[in-house]
Amino acid sequence: MSSPVATSLGEAGAAARSMAMPAPLRKLIRLLLGLVVAAVIWEGAVQLFGIRPYYLPRLSTILMAIAATPRAYVDGFLRTLAETLIGFASGGAFGVLMGVVFFRVRALREMVFPIFVVSQTIPVIAFGALVVLWFGNTLLAKAIIAFYLTFFPVTVNTLLGLETVDPKQVALMRSFGASNRQLLLRLQLPTALPQIFVALRLAASLSLVGAIVGEWFGDTTGLGVLLLQAMFTENVVAIWAALLAAALLGTGFYAVVAAVERRLVFWNAEQ
Amino acid sequence: MSRAFASPSLAVQRGILGAVLLVACWEGAARGLHLPAYVLPAVSDILAGLWSKRATLIDAAGYTLLEALVGYGLGCLIGIGLAVAIALVPALRSAILPLATAINSVPVVGYSPLILLWFGIGVSSKIVMVAMAVSFTILLSMLAGLDRVDRRAVDLMKSFGASRFGVLWRLRLPTALPLLLAGMRVSTVRSVIVAIVTEMLGAHGGLGWVIYQAVLQIDFVQVWAAIFVASAASLAFFGLIGFLERKILFWT
Amino acid sequence: MLSRRHAFSVLSAIALATGSLVTAAPAAELQKASLRLKWLPQAQFAGFYVAAAKGYYKAEGIDLTINPGGPNLLTENLVATGADTFGLSGGTDSVFAARDKGLPIVCIGVSHQITPFIFVTRKDGPVKTIQDFKGKTVTTWFTGANHVLNGMLAKEGIKPDELKIQPQQVSVTPFVDGSVDVVTATYYNEFYTIQSRMPKDSLKTFVAEDYGITFPRDTLIVAEATAKEKPELVKAFLRASLKGWKDAFADPKGAVDTVMATAPTLDRAQQEFMLTEVKRLMTSGAAAKNGMFWIDADAVKTAHDFFLKYGVISKPLDLAAAYDASFIQGVPQADRLP
Repeated sequence: MSSPVATSLGEAGAAARSMAMPAPLRKLIRLLLGLVVAAVIWEGAVQLFGIRPYYLPRLSTILMAIAATPRAYVDGFLRTLAETLIGFASGGAFGVLMGVVFFRVRALREMVFPIFVVSQTIPVIAFGALVVLWFGNTLLAKAIIAFYLTFFPVTVNTLLGLETVDPKQVALMRSFGASNRQLLLRLQLPTALPQIFVALRLAASLSLVGAIVGEWFGDTTGLGVLLLQAMFTENVVAIWAALLAAALLGTGFYAVVAAVERRLVFWNAEQ
Repeated sequence: MSRAFASPSLAVQRGILGAVLLVACWEGAARGLHLPAYVLPAVSDILAGLWSKRATLIDAAGYTLLEALVGYGLGCLIGIGLAVAIALVPALRSAILPLATAINSVPVVGYSPLILLWFGIGVSSKIVMVAMAVSFTILLSMLAGLDRVDRRAVDLMKSFGASRFGVLWRLRLPTALPLLLAGMRVSTVRSVIVAIVTEMLGAHGGLGWVIYQAVLQIDFVQVWAAIFVASAASLAFFGLIGFLERKILFWT
Repeated sequence: MLSRRHAFSVLSAIALATGSLVTAAPAAELQKASLRLKWLPQAQFAGFYVAAAKGYYKAEGIDLTINPGGPNLLTENLVATGADTFGLSGGTDSVFAARDKGLPIVCIGVSHQITPFIFVTRKDGPVKTIQDFKGKTVTTWFTGANHVLNGMLAKEGIKPDELKIQPQQVSVTPFVDGSVDVVTATYYNEFYTIQSRMPKDSLKTFVAEDYGITFPRDTLIVAEATAKEKPELVKAFLRASLKGWKDAFADPKGAVDTVMATAPTLDRAQQEFMLTEVKRLMTSGAAAKNGMFWIDADAVKTAHDFFLKYGVISKPLDLAAAYDASFIQGVPQADRLP
């Protein structure tokens, strides 16, 4: 049933390879082919197994629903993206900063780090109710929730990364008269970068969580808003539509962070 | 983290100092600025409220922990099961992993509307949510652990006639244990948080439900009291798994 | 009738919430304000959306952002902290509860003059009268509908613990499937969903007014400070909102279009039904003669005494301070009637 499809896709893949296309383009084509296959399987499986739309609607139904009201999804996507980016950027920056501070000032680390740990056990959604009270229905409020979820893993991993610095190299640089700042910028941070990016990749997903949960507190636009609205009108197709958009956002953002990592941390062969 | 602290007792002292300073600032701000309860209640008021409503809160904590524990157990089973299946039948990797990654590209909390519609607002929906959140992390941790095995050790065992299952049981599983347990530790706090987040959208009980009710009844002391209890429950769960980990991994 | 005449010329910074939907042309006289609804956008709030879309708020000098409510928000909290200027809150019960807890809010108008909640059961089921509620599974919302239920039970001499009262789910499926005996519904929302799955003549409803209870709901609130310092803003808001509601009732299809533009995933037929029912609720009782958002002092007092009796509030409240009818009375009657 699917063999003609698979064969022709396989041929297309082989053709792509044999044409000696540049690697990124080949990857992209492989990705697109994979998506097409997945879409076909989705559509086919729902029809074949007679899955009720209440559980899993056909992909075509979902896509048509998005096409019927595209503005809501586009606006929602962009709004959620904005909240995610701001939370990610601020959480990441703050996390790196705190990591460096904790690395330098042991006393501060021992005093504040446990508080950071405990802060992560506070359920973000409970926190969200309070943040909206304090900051109103603003982008800021959502970004704060995203920030809150992001800064801790980045702090931990920055600290971890900084501690992997070889003391002999530190000694060598100091023997050349390097200041603390030069030490930080030229040795310690670059050494920590792989570990920091581990956290940043995680933070990419976490900031999206923060943005979506934040939107559940009476926001006007956003993928989280679309999810909530769909839930309360029992519109399963709309829920899936919002989930697809969120998956796109999450995967895209993660891919961007991973791509940045590959360029910045080019010496890391551990991919 | 032995390089991280000057000496355990000094670190602990400083940690306590940090906590005390935070509490002092909080209390000072709340009382000194006469902040109304719906902005920020004083720590002393929260603790008093916690004590007076302790029966409700402990009940709710038990309810939430039940959901978290069952979901956690289920998630671990699924994650470990899938990882073992992939280890035994490598062909499964290309089937399972992309699907799992695709499902997980949406934040787990995003699925709560769907799960709540399908499973209702009883405990089952929370258990499913926690299981979803945990299983992916455990799957990835376990796979990373299983893949970490030294190829030469595997070849050695095979040369002695060990079956695939034997290699798995005697070599790969024990090697995978540290990474698996690290993943399990990380997932504990997540379980409690996911359970609470889902409860706040609809539940019969639990800490999320208590917080939801408290917001509606404008009882912010109760909101914070429930937050404190949730925090304590997460830490307790985390500590439990950490303790079990130390007992099992006695050789590290 | 309180007459307060204040001459203020101070424009203080109002809400922290200005949202990102503010697309107003930078006219210097526009005051920024926000309205927090009690739930997600739907035709229940059509008049406000119509007023915003047609520029009535701008014409009155207000740059209004409409913020939806949701499951985790209490409008009283947000108005009290200044996060929002105006609020459309749960009802007389939530206003009383908020004042009881010391939240500095004031009610300036009541939207739904009669109880919007009904209790629905199967006509051929075991529940024929309210007495039959005993021992049955009844689901309700603990955001106000529970008070209606408790009130009706109390009038019949039934104690709440003689039934199995449970929190109501998002979906009415448990009722349709038969696992719940009695379900709570609003005339304008869940009742539509239930009727779309079960024929209307297979349902039996219990209405609060039949038991001598009326719970006015959908109360417009502002912070005490706003009412005191910016009475003109409050009046302007009421005038613009009333215009919006009049337009919404005059052109229901257009109103639903406006609402659907905000929340495109809504079901059109349901929204049109909702608007019809909401019109009925907003123009019943005292509003029939006095116009929309009228504060019926008698209904308020009755509700207050009820809540005091059943412990929803801990002490008698100053009704004049909690409900300020001066603003709505300041609007000409003709403008208040649809």
